[in-house]
Amino acid sequence: VCVAGYEQSDGNEILQLIPPPTLLTKETQGLCPERDFKVECGGFSERPVYSLKYVPDTSLLVTSGPPDSSLQVWQVSAEDSDVIKSVSTLATENGTGQSWAKIATISARAPWVLHGSRLDRVQITEVESRKNVYTAASRGSEEISSLAFLDCNTLLLCCTTGRLCLADIRQPQSLVEAMRVPSASCSERWCMSTRHGGQGLEPSSQPVARLSSRGLLTLTDLRKTSEVLALAKARVLSPGSGAEFLCVSWAPALEGYLAISGFDGTVHVYDTQSWDSSGKEAEPVFIHKGHAFGGAGGSGDLPQVTVHTWHLQKPRTLLSAASDGSLHVWDWVQPCGKC
Amino acid sequence: FPAVRLCSGAGQDVGRSCVLVSIAGKNVMLDCGMHMGYNDDRRFPDFSYITQNGRLTDFLDCVIISHFHLDHCGALPYFSEMVGYDGPIYMTHPTKAICPILLEDYRKITVDKKGETNFFTSQMIKDCMKKVVAVHLHQTVQVDEELEIKAYYAGHVLGAAMFQIKVGCESVVYTGDYNMTPDRHLGAAWIEKCRPDLLITESTYATTIRDSKRCRERDFLKKVHETVERGGKVLIPVFALGRAQELCILLETFWERMNLKAPIYFSTGLTEKANHYYKLFITWTNQKIRKTFVQRNMFEFKHIKAFDRAFADNPGPMVVFATPGMLHAGQSLQIFRKWAGNEKNMVIMPGYCVQGTVGHKILSGQRKLEMEGRQILEVKMQVEYMSFSAHADAKGIMQLIRQAEPRNVLLVHGEAKKMEFLKQKIEQEFHVSCFMPANGETTTILTNPCIPVDISLGLLKRETAIGPLPDAKKPKLMHGTLLMKDNSFRLVSPEQALKELGLAEHQLRFTCRVHIQDPRKEHETVLRVYNHLKGILKDYSVQHLPDGSITVESILIQATAHSEDQGTKVLLVSWTYQDEELGSYLTSLLKKGLPQSTP
Repeated sequence: VCVAGYEQSDGNEILQLIPPPTLLTKETQGLCPERDFKVECGGFSERPVYSLKYVPDTSLLVTSGPPDSSLQVWQVSAEDSDVIKSVSTLATENGTGQSWAKIATISARAPWVLHGSRLDRVQITEVESRKNVYTAASRGSEEISSLAFLDCNTLLLCCTTGRLCLADIRQPQSLVEAMRVPSASCSERWCMSTRHGGQGLEPSSQPVARLSSRGLLTLTDLRKTSEVLALAKARVLSPGSGAEFLCVSWAPALEGYLAISGFDGTVHVYDTQSWDSSGKEAEPVFIHKGHAFGGAGGSGDLPQVTVHTWHLQKPRTLLSAASDGSLHVWDWVQPCGKC
Repeated sequence: FPAVRLCSGAGQDVGRSCVLVSIAGKNVMLDCGMHMGYNDDRRFPDFSYITQNGRLTDFLDCVIISHFHLDHCGALPYFSEMVGYDGPIYMTHPTKAICPILLEDYRKITVDKKGETNFFTSQMIKDCMKKVVAVHLHQTVQVDEELEIKAYYAGHVLGAAMFQIKVGCESVVYTGDYNMTPDRHLGAAWIEKCRPDLLITESTYATTIRDSKRCRERDFLKKVHETVERGGKVLIPVFALGRAQELCILLETFWERMNLKAPIYFSTGLTEKANHYYKLFITWTNQKIRKTFVQRNMFEFKHIKAFDRAFADNPGPMVVFATPGMLHAGQSLQIFRKWAGNEKNMVIMPGYCVQGTVGHKILSGQRKLEMEGRQILEVKMQVEYMSFSAHADAKGIMQLIRQAEPRNVLLVHGEAKKMEFLKQKIEQEFHVSCFMPANGETTTILTNPCIPVDISLGLLKRETAIGPLPDAKKPKLMHGTLLMKDNSFRLVSPEQALKELGLAEHQLRFTCRVHIQDPRKEHETVLRVYNHLKGILKDYSVQHLPDGSITVESILIQATAHSEDQGTKVLLVSWTYQDEELGSYLTSLLKKGLPQSTP
C-alpha cells in the first residue's frame, strides 16, 4: 500500500507500507502477533502528490501533481536502502492553465505511462527511455478526470464533463467519442472506473461506471454506447469544496459491487445488480463512517475521504484515506443470508 | 565531545541494550541488557569492547539503568558480580524495587528449569542491588564534581525513565524505551527543551505505523467476549506488573458498559504485589489513576475478584489473569493444563515469550506439548497473541526530538538498511545530524562546547541600546574585549579593558600626500579643493577653516607648495584610524584631480 502527502509546501512524504499479516492473505489467520502497518520504504517529494501509480513488473512508481502536468518517476528501494529515490521527471509541454496530469500504467510491450491533463494533451510515454510512443488525436481541450488502459491497445479517457472517449493506439489519429452524459449540468464534474475483468474476458465487455459530483452514477457497456445500462442517484450532498477527491471503483472480487467517495468523510458501497435506468435513488449496501469520527476533530473541519480502493483478494475489504492523514482498512458484514 | 559506543555484540534484532558514552572524559554505561533469545554467551553484551585492560570500576564513572525489562537490566548482576564492577548504579525507585524480582524470576527459569550453569546466583542479584543508588524524577544527581544526571518520565512501564547526562556544558540524553502516547495506567514520556548535544533513542519500532489503540483494544475485547459468550474460559498469563494493570482497567470498563456477568479473576499474589507497588509509586502512574486512587484503590475492581485455585474447575465462562507471563511455571501453567483440552477456551498471550517456555511453544504453533513425566498435553484451546507493547513509533520519535531539541540524534537498535528514510526525515525536519551505528561501532559526535563568559553591565547596556531588541533565539554580534584572567572569562568594553590594564589607548593617524597640478597660490588651490569637495560630498560636513585648512568631518586637508615645483601643490590628507573608510575615499577622489572649471 502506498500513501503520499499532498500539501502545497514541500516535504511531502511517499511511504510504501506493508500491511500487517492479517490483511495480506485472503483468509483471516488465527495467530498474528503483528497488527501494525510497517513502513517498508519512504521518500520525499517537493511537490504535492495528487496521483500515484505503480509501474507493473518494475520497481518504479510514477506520481503527478501541481503545479504542472509533468510526471515524477521514482525507484522504490533497492536491497540496501529503504529510501524511495527520485529517478527522473517526464516533462510535458505546458500550455497555459494546465492542471496536473492524470495517470495510468501498464507493462505490456514495455513499461508505459498514459498521462495527460487535457483531452488534447494525452500521450503515452515509455517510462525508462522517456520516449513518447503515442499521442492521442485532439478532440477538444476539456480537462481529463480519469484515464485507463482497457487492454494493451485500447485506452479509455473520461473528461470532467462526463464525456468518454476510446482510442486504439495502433491507429494514432483515431479518437472515438464513446459517450456523452445525458442532461449533464455545466458545473457537474465526472470521473470513471473500469473493472478489471477476469481472465479471458474482453475488457470492453466490463461496464464502465461514471460518478458525478452531484451523486449521479451511470453504468455503460462500451460495446453499446448508445444507451446507458443503468442509472442511479447516490444519497449524497454535493461536495462543498469542488470535486477533486471524487472517486468511484469497482470491487475486484464481488460481482456488481462498487464504492464511491469524495463527498464527505464517508465511503458508500453499492450493489449495482439491482439497478435499472430510471435514475432513482439507490440504497447503499454499507456506509463507512469511520473517518468522520476518528481522530482529534478539534479543528472543526471534518475530514474528507480523499481516495479509496478495494482489497484485491478479500472480497469485502476496502482501504480509504482521508484529509486528516488517517488510513482505514475496513469491511462490512452482510446483514442476512449470504456469506 | 561525546563519543558513543554500542557494545551490544552480535545480532540486530531486539536484543539487549547496552550503550557506552564517553563525554568530556567521563564514561557512562547506559543499560545492561540480556538477549532473551540466546542460551549461551551471546545473551550477554560483550564487555571486552569497553576496555581491553584496566578495571571496569576505574574506567566507568557510573552505570544507568532505564527500566526493569530484562533486555535492559538482565545482564546487570552478571556485569557487576561476575565481570566485576563496584561503582555506582543509578535507576529510579520503582526500577530498583522491581528489578530484583524479575531478575530472580528469570534466574529461576534459566538455572532451575533449564539447568544452566554459567549464570548469576540469587546472592549476586542481592549484592548487585546493594550498589544501586535510586533517583527521583527531575532530580539532579551529582555523580562526581563534574558529572551530573537527571531522570525524566518515559511512560512505557512503571518506573521507566529517560536520562540526561551532563558534564559542564556538554550533555547527552538517553531514552531507553519510551512511549509518547499515554495509556490507561501510565502517562506519556516528557522531557524539557534541554537541547542536548546528542539524543540517543531506540528505534526498533520506528518503521511501525501503529494501529489505533481503539482498534487494538476492541479486537482484544471482541476475542474475550466471544469466548465468554459461548461458555468458554479465557486465560491471560501476565507479569505481575505491566500490561496486566492496563488490561484489567480495560476489562473492568468493558464489563461495566456491557453489563456482563461472567467472573473475572486475578491471582491473589498478583493483586497484592501490584497494589503494593502502584500505591508505593503512585506518582509514576497517569493523572487519572492518581486522582481516583485517593478515593478508592484503583486496583480494587468491581468485576475483578481474587482467584482461588479451586475456581479453575468451576463450570461456565470466566476470565483469569495469572502469573507467570510465559506459562513457564506456577499458577498460569496449572490453569493452562486444565483448560487446554477444550476448544471453547482461549489463552491470550500478551508480550514476548522466552524460548523454551510453554508460551513460546504454543505461539510457534505447537499443539502437542510434553509435560513432566512424559505426559503429552494436547492443546485444543484457541491460542491468541496480542501485543499492547508501549514503544514509540516514528511519529513518537519525531515528537520527542521536537521536545528536547538535540543537536544530534543517534538511532539504536534498528536495522541500518531500514533506517535510512527515518534518518533523512529527521535531518530534513530538524536540521540536525542523525547517526545509526551498528553494534560494536563507535560513533563520534563533534560538539561546539559553549564557554560561559561574564559580561559587564555597562557593555550589555550599551549593546542593547543599539537597534531593536534582539531575537532571543538568534546569536547577537557584540563588540567587546575578552579578558582571561586566572580561570575566569569576562567581556568588557575596550575602554574599561584599557582602564583595568592601565594602558592608554593609542591613536593612529594616517597622512597621505596627493599631488595636484595647480600653478596658482596655495590659498587659491585650497579654495578650489573646498568648492570641489563641497559640491560632491553633500551629506558630509565640509568646512573651510580660517587657518587655510579644510575639514571633511574629522579629516584634515592642508595644502602646501611642492618644494621643487611651484606648479604642483601637495595636499596633505590626514585621518585617524576610525575614519579609515572616508579617508581612503577622499584620497582617491582627490587623486582624480580637480575639475578644470572650478573657479
